[in-house]
Order: sequence, then structure tokens, then C-alpha cells
Amino acid sequence: MTTNRGARDSKLEQDIQDVTDPRDFLQTSLPQMMDIDTLLRCHICKDFIKIPVLTPCGHTFCSLCIREYLNRELKCPLCLAELRESMLRSEFLVNEIIESYKQARVHLLEALHKHNKSVAAQDEDFTIEIASGDNEEEASDDDIKIIETRASRPAKRVIGTVTSGGKRARQELGNSGITAMFGKSKEKAQGETASCPICNKSFSLDYLQRTHLDDCLVSMNSAVKTEYKPTSEPETKSKSPGFESHITKHTNRYLESGQNKNSARLPKLNFPSMSQSQLKQKLSSLSLPVNGNRQQMINRYNHFEMLWNSNFLDSMEPVSERDLRRKLASWEASHNNGDNIQGKSSISTMLSGKTTLSRLKDFKNDRFDRKGWIRAHRTEFQELLMEARDSLKKMKNSEQSSTSHSMNKPLLDQVIPDSKDVQLQEMQTETDQLREEPSSRI
Amino acid sequence: MSLKRITKELNDLGRDPPTSCSAGPVGDDLYHWQASIMGPPDSPYAGGVFFLSIHFPTDYPFKPPKISFTTKIYHPNINANGNICLDILKDQWSPALTISKVLLSICSLLTDANPDDPLVPEIAHIYKTDRAKYEATAKEWTKKYAV
Repeated sequence: MTTNRGARDSKLEQDIQDVTDPRDFLQTSLPQMMDIDTLLRCHICKDFIKIPVLTPCGHTFCSLCIREYLNRELKCPLCLAELRESMLRSEFLVNEIIESYKQARVHLLEALHKHNKSVAAQDEDFTIEIASGDNEEEASDDDIKIIETRASRPAKRVIGTVTSGGKRARQELGNSGITAMFGKSKEKAQGETASCPICNKSFSLDYLQRTHLDDCLVSMNSAVKTEYKPTSEPETKSKSPGFESHITKHTNRYLESGQNKNSARLPKLNFPSMSQSQLKQKLSSLSLPVNGNRQQMINRYNHFEMLWNSNFLDSMEPVSERDLRRKLASWEASHNNGDNIQGKSSISTMLSGKTTLSRLKDFKNDRFDRKGWIRAHRTEFQELLMEARDSLKKMKNSEQSSTSHSMNKPLLDQVIPDSKDVQLQEMQTETDQLREEPSSRI
Repeated sequence: MSLKRITKELNDLGRDPPTSCSAGPVGDDLYHWQASIMGPPDSPYAGGVFFLSIHFPTDYPFKPPKISFTTKIYHPNINANGNICLDILKDQWSPALTISKVLLSICSLLTDANPDDPLVPEIAHIYKTDRAKYEATAKEWTKKYAV
């Protein structure tokens, strides 16, 4: 927060780009990946878990996230069971699964998107035929939901995805999950040969379905690891020297992992019973700076203890003590600012120069100018209103199909009669565009 | 960390907005949002639209967001300043919660008040002894301030 505004904005932009979303998979022929993508995320930072640790209650978080939380509350964020830092255990396997998934994710998405396009183009007539020949199933819950969420996408692709991802495809084509996935069908299967959707080579259909597709998928993934060229002879690529050890890097790392030899835990200190000089002694024994007031020194020790224990107890690749001290320094630079009250200073910097500051001062007491506030933010409130109403409409439309959001379900047109003018609607579309922008950039 | 997590939540809200609520930042300050909640249809607040102000502390999600009503509302757990008495906004906060979940909890607080842990004892008393009167007043306030 000490950086200037321009730097902050570009940092923010970077952050927004970094935010990946499990729903990226919704638009592909493998929406099932959404679940896995969600499971591999930390419930504190909502990003992929970094240095996963397991609690006795069976939940996994980033080492730093959960340690920072346990400095405040001694319970599991998910089930509220009692929890202390000493109970955390590192999970090397999960760590490697996530690291390896993160690498594959980009390529997987890319491959799925490319695939979607090519399937839609090749099998266009064919998929439409299936879709129309199966009207009674068309109304099943799954399918409608999928159509709903993709209303804005080209019809061709929607049909393609519904056929391939939907329940019907799986039932109708039943014989092979992969065939269904790629939108191939039984009727086509009656022909002698077919071309593989991945490498485009022709094979007898039986061989293609039973053996080749699996092989081809595996080698496609391998090709992805070295250099992503899905159509360029993946088979020769997989034989390139040293290749195997490259893809099994995470497996190897997992097999080599073990208890760290220098895993001395830094203890929690009982600060009230320590004198100023004892505290300074403790800090200097760890080669930490001893400047600042007592509270700053306590914060410094606590943060360093967290970094230390996370690094030496949980991480598979611990960094050096010097790197930890560097991390501590940059944390202090962004958190202390010569002000004891953590965070407060940065909030006021954030708000300073904004017109809202003067109003906000009274926010929590009776002098708060409610009407003035509403007037000042009328447009924002109206946008929110439109959005709420819009989401309501969408919900009403999908009401019959969706049973997931049972809460507050039948929300109504009679709530607010549609008396708003065209201007508001324009505003609405504008906000929609604004909202869609960040997601499309990812 | 807080900024990234807030961005993530904003992105989630944009992609999959919770029913009957919406929320987003005021201007370009990501730490300060406002939200709207539609009065639940099975409550005396039906037909009203209630606005809320949300402040994220810099150590969010380790500390709960500060949420308060800016629209006046007659409710045993919401006082004249708009402060909300809701356990998950205080000692029951967990970093695994999100703004979207909190807004849904506030929605269900509007449907089912908690008169045993009141913020406004007078309203809680009326709620417990004369439910019809409470509902009438709540409806009246909704009509007056939230429509």
C-alpha cells in the first residue's frame, strides 16, 4: 500500500489476470473438471493451495494462510474444530498434485477449446441431428442448465457441448465415455474407419475407440508438456530423450520427499512475561532487527515464526534463512509504516482524497448522513438494483430446471413494477459489459 | 493477499451472482463495496430493496468485513445505524466465508429474525409478544424507506 497509485493499479491488473476460475471449464466439453479445479483451492485465499497442510479434522489449506489465521483464532475455518499450529501436517502428495495440475491446466483448457471448435466444425450436421432426434430428453435438468449458462455463446457450439457433455450423450452413446466426450456417435461408428479427433489420422473404428484415443490423449498431454503442438506427431515427441523424467517430475519429487533434517520449530513466545531486553535478545539471536517499539518487535517475531515454520516444517523446498528475512522485511514495509495500528494506516491512505472519506467518518454513528449517502451513490445503487433484478429474472427462467438455489426462490415481478426508463436499461447493459470484461480476459 | 481475494470474490459475483442480492465496489476502491438485497417474499420486507455498505479490513479474510444497512429497516437484529447483529460477522466469522454467503445469511436473517439475541430489545419484545404488530410496522417501514 506504500506504492504509488500507478504501481498499485498495474499490480491490481496483474492480480485480476492471475485469478483463474473453476468455471473456465464450464465452457468446455469437460465441465466435470470444474469440481477438481475447485477442490484444489484454499478456502482462505481462494487460490490454488500453496504448500498444503492437513488439519486433524481433515481439511487442507495453504501453510501460510492457515498459520496466519491461527495467530488470531484457534479453530479450523471450515468446521470450526479446535486447531493449533502444532497439529498441522504437511501434505507432500497434495502439493505435487496441485503443482502438476497447475502446469497442465493451461494446456488442458487450450486443448479443450481447440477441440471444441474442431468438433463443432466437423460434426456440425451430425450433432444437430442427434439433438433434434431426442426431444423428450431435451427437457432434462442438466441440459437446460447448460444451455442457460451459455446463452450468449454461438448456437453451434452450444449444441456441440450439450450433446457431448450432457446426460443424453452419455446415455445414448453409452459404450465409451471418450467417444461421447468428443461428440462422436454410434451411427458414425458403423463406418469402417474414422479419423482420430486429436491426431487426425485414420484408424479402424474399433481400434480408435478402444485403444488409440486413450493413447493419443496420453501422448497429447505429453506433447503439451514439452511444447504445445497438438497435431504435430505426438508419438515421436513422447519418445524424445529425457522426456519421461520431465513429465514425471512431480512424481519423482514426491518419492524423494521426506522429513526435513533441520526442522527445528520456532516456538510461540509468551510475550507478557518477557522483558524488553529478553525480546531484543531473542530477535538478535535470529539475526532480526531490534528497532521499533515493543508491539512492532512482537509482530516481527510472530510473522517470522510463521514464515519459518511454514518454510522449514511444511515446504518441500525450503528457502534459506536469508530469504525468509527478506520476506519478513518486505512484509514489514507493507504493514507497519511506522504506525502501530496495523492496517488502519493503509485504509486511510486508500480512502484519502476520495470524496467518500468525510462522509465515512460518521458511518458508524447517528450523525451519518444517510440521505446524502444515497444521493451521492444513486447511480451505483441503481446499477445494483438492476443487477439484482436481472439475476432474479434469470433465476425465474431457470426455476424449473434448477433446484440448487432453493433459498429465497420465488422472488417476484410484483416486487418492483417495471417502470424504469430506457436510460436505466442502458446503464444496465453497461454494467453487464463492465462485469464481463474481467472474466473474458482470463 | 486481501486485494487478490477481494478481486476473486468480485469475479465470482460477476460470473455467478447469488439470487436476490448483488454487490460491487464503489468507484475504484476495492475495499469499499455496496450491496443490495431484495426483501424476501415470505417476510414483511417483501417488495423492498435494501442497500448495504461493505468495508473490507486490510487483513480480510482473517477479519470479517464490516457490513451495515444504509436503508432504514425495522428488525430486532438491526439497529437505527444499520448495524447488524449476526454471529458470522463477529465471533463466528471464518475466512472460508465469502461476501456472497454473508449476503445470503443476511437475507435469511430478514426472514427469520433472532429475537433472543437482539440488537434492539424493544423490537425484539414486540416481535415476541405481538407478532402482528411487528409485521405491520416492518411492512410500513419497508414501504416508507425501501420501495
